Amino acid sequence: MNGHALLYTGVTLAFWSTILIVGICYTIFDLGFRFDVAWFLTETSPYMWANLGIGLAISLSVVGAAWGIYITGSSIIGGGVKAPRIKTKNLVSIIFCEAVAIYGIIMAIVISNMAEVRYALLFTDVLLLINLTIFINWYSMFGAGLTVGFSNLFCGICVGIVGSGAALADAQNPSLFVKILIVEIFGSAIGLFGVIVAILQTSKVKMGD
Amino acid sequence: MAESRWSGKSTFISYFCLFWITGALTTHVPLLIWSSDSLAPVPSSAAGHITSLSELRTYLSSTLGSGAHTVLLFLQEKLSQDDFTVYGGVYGNKEDSAFKNLEEALQSQSAVFPALEWSSSSSVPSILEQVFGVSPLLLSPDALDDLKMDASVNNLLLISLPYCSQNKHCREELRTNDDVIGRVLKTLEAKNVPYTAMFTGLQPSRVIEESSFSAPVGRSLLQAPPPAPAVQAPIIFNSSGNPCIMLWAQNLNVSFSPTAAWTDLYTLTPTLSGSLCNETNAVLVLTYNGGITLSFFMSQRFFPVSARRWFSLDSVQLRQNAVTAAFSSRNIYAPAEYSYHCQFVSSFRDPLLIPANNNGSWRLNFVDFQIQGFGLNNGTNFSYASDCAGFFTGAIWMGLITSLIMLFIFVYGLHMILQLNTMDRFDDPKGPSISVPQTE
Repeated sequence: MNGHALLYTGVTLAFWSTILIVGICYTIFDLGFRFDVAWFLTETSPYMWANLGIGLAISLSVVGAAWGIYITGSSIIGGGVKAPRIKTKNLVSIIFCEAVAIYGIIMAIVISNMAEVRYALLFTDVLLLINLTIFINWYSMFGAGLTVGFSNLFCGICVGIVGSGAALADAQNPSLFVKILIVEIFGSAIGLFGVIVAILQTSKVKMGD
Repeated sequence: MAESRWSGKSTFISYFCLFWITGALTTHVPLLIWSSDSLAPVPSSAAGHITSLSELRTYLSSTLGSGAHTVLLFLQEKLSQDDFTVYGGVYGNKEDSAFKNLEEALQSQSAVFPALEWSSSSSVPSILEQVFGVSPLLLSPDALDDLKMDASVNNLLLISLPYCSQNKHCREELRTNDDVIGRVLKTLEAKNVPYTAMFTGLQPSRVIEESSFSAPVGRSLLQAPPPAPAVQAPIIFNSSGNPCIMLWAQNLNVSFSPTAAWTDLYTLTPTLSGSLCNETNAVLVLTYNGGITLSFFMSQRFFPVSARRWFSLDSVQLRQNAVTAAFSSRNIYAPAEYSYHCQFVSSFRDPLLIPANNNGSWRLNFVDFQIQGFGLNNGTNFSYASDCAGFFTGAIWMGLITSLIMLFIFVYGLHMILQLNTMDRFDDPKGPSISVPQTE
């Protein structure tokens, strides 16, 4: 077993054994009522969820874009050694990948504008408390970020692989490029779907009096 | 013969050393008894045991009680076990021993009391007098030759020996005494008189003061411990004779304006009228003098998802004269059979009680608060206290989640980078190297 596999097995084993032992102890002492997902979801600060959504929106989108660009870019460079004419035309694939990152950053800005910090030092404002306890706001932000992030991640990978294929096919036979570009456009659409759904999710967020 | 003498001597000496080491707190003198007849065995006792005078009396009665005995008492002015240790040649220097005759005499029937209880008023002669019923006859050693004794009655002869004085070296003095003892015993043997001889001291020559072990070894605070605060009893509401609701708190502080001082209601005695307790609801109403009323409203029901009955403290009402303020609770709940405990239940800082209908000027602050409304089962002890503070607080969970997410992302990226390899599919070390055209 090489080092990676050993490390991952060890971590997984530690994780599951911790969970097993904690679970057994809780069961034995009749403290099962302490395992309370609802408590966890309501007691953790809602700001954490909102900010996790924002962070994941941009970061996962960027990961997808980067992955796609790296795949396409290496193919363009490799193919361009023998067929330098493909360089300029195949930048379109790179731009499709980049668009995914732009979707991500737009959503991150939109969500962060909604996450207004209404913070009073004295916790006596009932309305403030109500605002904070309307968890749909905060979980919507988290969900929207997650949505746009993951869909852009896979969109970027998809566009990247297709673009790499397009570059190499173009190097071989210039008439193939336009046809493969159509496949790439379909791949790019799925990123757009993610953005639309995220916008729908955050449209429900109403922070205000 | 020589071996038995040596072993007997070493036994005798080791006996004294052992008892010297385990010396006792009260003063004592050794008492050696030997006889030409038989002696009863000394009752076995633990090391360091100080024989009391009554024990000695019992022993003497058992041994010398019947028949007529001649008892010869050598009374040294002072005697202690230490004298035997110092001057008895016990460290391998048997030739320096000052008790040669004594040791020889003890080879035969002998009884040894290493530590006989001594006080200034008691003495062995008086005990012997009591046992025998005759008063002792003081002799000088030389006068023994001329003494005519009647062997059919009890005789008690007393020979007084001096202890170390300034004139002579102590060893010499004791050796002289030993010679006297030897001579007297020879005289008695020559006269064929069965005798019992005793050697003891009029007072102990050395009194070792044991250090008292009353003070504890180790460090201790000199400051007196602060008086433990009195713990008040819990407030118990009985319904139909059985305890139904229990409440305990270190402080039940209320304040009627943001600037007013806190009033600790737990120090006052409340009346519990108006409280009720049934299957689904429990209300504890505490009425104090001065028109202040504090009520706790609890309810219990069965939740099917967790398949368990839970109770919650729904609201707390504070009333002063005619004004009522209600505080609704946030997350004050526990399984119905357990009690709820929280170190800090307040309406203003990390509030568990949210003011429902006032503008927040009245404040509550309960310290070390524990309440149970259901499941007391006739006992007056709280059930297991389900605490408001769990093992991980909410903040800890938040930190754990975010750091675990970041850790996962990091490990994923690291894994990807670590398995990047240079492509070697088309490497052909024997083939021609690649040619790059300069023009298209």
